[in-house]
Amino acid sequence: MNISRIYAIVLRHFFLAIHQFERITDIFLFPVLALVLWGFLSSFVQFQTPSLANFLLGGMILWVIFERVGSNVGVDFMFDVWERNLMNVLASPIKLPEYITGLVIVSLLKVLISFLAMWFVATVFFGFAINLYGISLAAFWVNLVFFAVVLGIFNVSIVMRFGNTIGPLTWILPFAIQPFAAVFYPVAVLPIFIQKIVWFLPISHVFEGMRFTFTTGRFQSLEFLAALGLNLVYFVIVIGFFTYIFNLVKRKGSLAKL
Amino acid sequence: MSKASKIPVLEVKNLVKKFKDFTAVDDISFDVKEGEILGFLGPNGAGKSTTINCILGVIEPDDGKIKMFAKDISQNRSEIMKKVNYCSAEYNVAWNLKVYEALFFYCCLYEVENANARIERILDQMEANEFKNKFLRDLSFGQRARISLCKSLLNDPKLLLLDEPMASMDPDMVDKGIRLLKRIQKENKISILYTSHNMWEIEQIADKVVFVNNGKIAAQGTPLDLTRRHFLADTDEPNLREVFIKLSRSEDEHI
Ligand SMILES: Nc1ncnc2c1ncn2[C@@H]1O[C@H](COP(=O)(O)OP(=O)(O)O)[C@@H](O)[C@H]1O
Ligand SMILES: [Mg+2]
Repeated sequence: MNISRIYAIVLRHFFLAIHQFERITDIFLFPVLALVLWGFLSSFVQFQTPSLANFLLGGMILWVIFERVGSNVGVDFMFDVWERNLMNVLASPIKLPEYITGLVIVSLLKVLISFLAMWFVATVFFGFAINLYGISLAAFWVNLVFFAVVLGIFNVSIVMRFGNTIGPLTWILPFAIQPFAAVFYPVAVLPIFIQKIVWFLPISHVFEGMRFTFTTGRFQSLEFLAALGLNLVYFVIVIGFFTYIFNLVKRKGSLAKL
Repeated sequence: MSKASKIPVLEVKNLVKKFKDFTAVDDISFDVKEGEILGFLGPNGAGKSTTINCILGVIEPDDGKIKMFAKDISQNRSEIMKKVNYCSAEYNVAWNLKVYEALFFYCCLYEVENANARIERILDQMEANEFKNKFLRDLSFGQRARISLCKSLLNDPKLLLLDEPMASMDPDMVDKGIRLLKRIQKENKISILYTSHNMWEIEQIADKVVFVNNGKIAAQGTPLDLTRRHFLADTDEPNLREVFIKLSRSEDEHI
């Protein structure tokens, strides 16, 4: 891995972000608007069940983080396709892991800004204390972002294979996962057969585990290990998938035609 | 000329690329020696871009070997590409960035030292300094092609792969571009693979010409050689236009 080349990718997206209003709204406006909506909802709910309010808002913030990272990696890749810039990048000494790492770092930086904006609005305007429960929740956050990155690499792969026409799928995919991710309700409310499928989603373990900490104050290591283990498996699978697609489009010659 | 004794910077041996049943590149072999400009001439669809994309590693060949600086590209790609660069009028450099930003980005990708000075110098040489703070999307097609050419010179390459780099430039700019390339090529001893279907460009720039048609090499030699062999035996003026027409039609006439 070469730092200068990874930095180049980050810089390229920094330049893009400062010139494009929609990129900035993507980072600030969308997350903050979502927070305002959920902030009012949580304020309303607080009259009945105060613990639920905090929990809804926390879940919403985490969800936005997941959804942003999950789709942004693919969208930023599409920018190089849209701008017909990809061939020139691929002709450079850059290695694919460096390129992907650069895209992931860009997404993480953006989501950090989104998070700070949401956190600010939640505490200052709604007076909610986003309780982080120290290191135990951080362990779940890492898994949340990890799975988002896996999703991001999957999205890059399908764009590489099918071109930008597949683009909308990269936005929809996180939302297709949402009902099963058990963000706002426990897995137990889902029908039994869906519960079984949901077990295979790292993100549902993340939310189950965090809910446990919210209500009991203790760390649920079983959920944590399930999330981590599944993430590692999916990471290996998605890297394999990405490599397969990359070799395929090189054989088909379609990489140069993207 | 003493060029024959020099080591090849680029070696392509028995390159084959098929797209399903269609053979786009059919057993092509050639090399580019140090300090040499090889013109890769052929009609549309001859297989020129496919060959260059195989060299870049963006297309996987079905058969054949490609070496740059005596190293196999499948193993040493990243190291090799530091000394190589590429330009095609077909692709952009980051459309929504300003020219300066886009070039700075490429400087980072190629780990160019003193990037600012380097960008200034190359923009000056290409008479493109006035575009420095403009968005690439606001430039004309030909102006963007000029910036692509600037990008390909940023890392002081030893080998330049140019795929119809001036396809959209006006004749004045093509002339300037060619003169600039020739000068840089002499000063820095770079080697160039220059793809075009424009005979005039190739006549101006190439030491040697490989003429491809239907994925095969139809003829090769210096522009004058080719003219004498395929058009007028006793001429002193290269006339690739006539060679081009004759060679690209010869296949149809046999049918
Ligand atoms: N990815 C691809 N899939 C199928 N056919 C292709 C692909 N790329 C190029 N071709 C075909 O291969 C032939 C050579 O193309 P190309 O190398 O681009 O020609 P040119 O000499 O004009 O650069 C053309 O007939 C083209 O249609
Ligand atoms: Mg071409």
